[in-house]
Amino acid sequence: MGILLDSNTAVLVQGITGKEGLKAARAMLDYHTQVLCGVTPKKGGQMAEGRPVFSSVAEAVEQFPMVNVALIYVPPFAAKAAIIEAINNNIPLINTIVERIPIKDTAYCLAAAKEKNIRIIGPSSLGLIVPGVGRVGVVGGPLVNDIFQPGSIGVISRSGGMTNEVSWQIRKAGLGQSAAVHVGGDLLMGTTYADLLRMFEKDTATKAVVIFGEHGGSYEFEIVDLIINKEFTKPLAIYVGGKFASVLPEGMNIGHAGAIVGRGQSAAEKEAALRAAGVMVAEHYEQLPELVKKFA
Amino acid sequence: MNLYEFEGKQLLAKHGIAIPTGVVVRRGDDARAMYAELQVTDVVVKAQVLSGKRGKNNGIKFCSSAEEVSRACEDLFARDIRGQYVAAVLIEEKLSIAEELYVAIVYETNKKQPMLMYSEDGGMEIEDVAEEKIQKIPADIRQNTIVSTIPFAPELWRCFLAEDARVAEINPLVKTVDGRFVAADAKIAIDDDAFFRHEDWAALEPRTMLGRPSTEREIEAKKIDEGEKYYQGTAGKYIEMNGNVATLFSSAGASISNMDALLQAGLEPANYTEYSGNPPREKVYQLTKIVLAKPGIKGLWIIGGVANFTNVEETFRGVIDALDEVKPTYPIVVRRGGPFEKEGLALMAECARRNNLNMKLFGKETAMGETAKILASMIAGN
Repeated sequence: MGILLDSNTAVLVQGITGKEGLKAARAMLDYHTQVLCGVTPKKGGQMAEGRPVFSSVAEAVEQFPMVNVALIYVPPFAAKAAIIEAINNNIPLINTIVERIPIKDTAYCLAAAKEKNIRIIGPSSLGLIVPGVGRVGVVGGPLVNDIFQPGSIGVISRSGGMTNEVSWQIRKAGLGQSAAVHVGGDLLMGTTYADLLRMFEKDTATKAVVIFGEHGGSYEFEIVDLIINKEFTKPLAIYVGGKFASVLPEGMNIGHAGAIVGRGQSAAEKEAALRAAGVMVAEHYEQLPELVKKFA
Repeated sequence: MNLYEFEGKQLLAKHGIAIPTGVVVRRGDDARAMYAELQVTDVVVKAQVLSGKRGKNNGIKFCSSAEEVSRACEDLFARDIRGQYVAAVLIEEKLSIAEELYVAIVYETNKKQPMLMYSEDGGMEIEDVAEEKIQKIPADIRQNTIVSTIPFAPELWRCFLAEDARVAEINPLVKTVDGRFVAADAKIAIDDDAFFRHEDWAALEPRTMLGRPSTEREIEAKKIDEGEKYYQGTAGKYIEMNGNVATLFSSAGASISNMDALLQAGLEPANYTEYSGNPPREKVYQLTKIVLAKPGIKGLWIIGGVANFTNVEETFRGVIDALDEVKPTYPIVVRRGGPFEKEGLALMAECARRNNLNMKLFGKETAMGETAKILASMIAGN
């Protein structure tokens, strides 16, 4: 089980001939995930990691109609065109690894995706992993088997590094992960905590979920609504980073792009609302595994 | 990046929004002469700072003579407004106000789209205006124009899109007694990530919200991520703080939780810094040099989580290049995991040996927060 991925997952890498694109393709293949082909404009006909490269997504899906995930690893100024290409070709799941995409371009892509019921994970998302099943992107890197093992804890993180670090803490506590998703640290997120919690609620392998959150934005408040409406009923532990930010001037941007200190969005205010809804709030991120261990 | 009011107003004017007649005064300028050239008697003299609430904090003065203007400028340049550095002073015609409105466009995170906001209760008290008195109208980012009866809404939308703004706010939008609409203030934040389609942004002066001009080291650090491959690993985030414990964080998420851990361990950061996304050795070297260059450092915390794909060996080589040059004598704690962690930590141990550094090294078996406490006890015993 797990969420978003299964044995039918078939990936197309946009930007496959770049250094990072190649690395991502290799990371997925190493973790037994089908990577069928890649796209790089004007480079059709080449091979990358033993997979054919096409000049456009349209050509790629004509040859490989079973593609159901697009992984985007192109420079930020080319990201909008690449994502729109995937959307126009009806690829249902798009993982955007690209960082530093202008927010206007992100908003444009999210609007276009929503119209077609296409899910975007990211931008600035290193991807997701369902231990033992597969991964999209580079979560876990080359040490993936040291960090991840199949288990019952769902992991969601705003930070790529902390997706891995938190998953490692869970492993160190003798537990495994049902899935780990890096949602990305931008102000606008294609897939939010609430979206993923709905999926974890349905997933029979998941017994509890941990979240590494950050100050800024209002996504944590969506969790509160979800719990009140009984759309998520499993144990949930959360850490909201950035308490120190309350000493910074309002509007200061630190950490990820999404972590801008705004009115009513401080780490402390989020924690209070979450506690009131029955969420277990960790003082340090290292406490997350102990909080969920008894439910695993 | 937040723009100063006068910069924001230039953008508004460019897109057809009326702004008051005015002039920008810098330190050392002849404010009297500039006032005289304006040929307006009653003026508003406004401190140019990056945060709001100037009105309530004596950042805005009304004057009617060269003498008053000169004194007001001197006074504003001599102080901070809510801890914010006064970069310039804007002298503008005083408007005859009939009504004060509020109009803004911001990104709304739940709906993931821009939201046009409008209220007839604009002005200094906007933060206390009830939610139901602020209209919120979703806007489709894919449309170049919007139709609206809200004054200047179509122009503000064009400005928001064309200038890659994250926030575009006019408060107040003044309706004058003779029925004209004029933007009396402008709060615009531009999206740094869109710089590649805005060559003119390179000319904007450096700024920080920490209530002082950017330090030389901060300006220097910003340059690290410039250039053609700006998106390949970042290492240009450096903000100076008042403490004495230097920090070198990897991963943006880890950096904010480690700042929390540092404070919880009773330590005071000398800086906030972060590198992530597998930056090349050279970028990490430059950043480390800047971090170590701050005077008065009593300890150094080199810390990161278990990296996904950042090469620990390669990035540590950059750190080591700088440590070899500087050879700090204060305590250093290192904690890191990820690809090539063994190689990276071994190189670091070698560097400590050859330079006789007072360094403790930890891998992923030790939690990050714990190493903050270890550094605290090393500093206390030093």
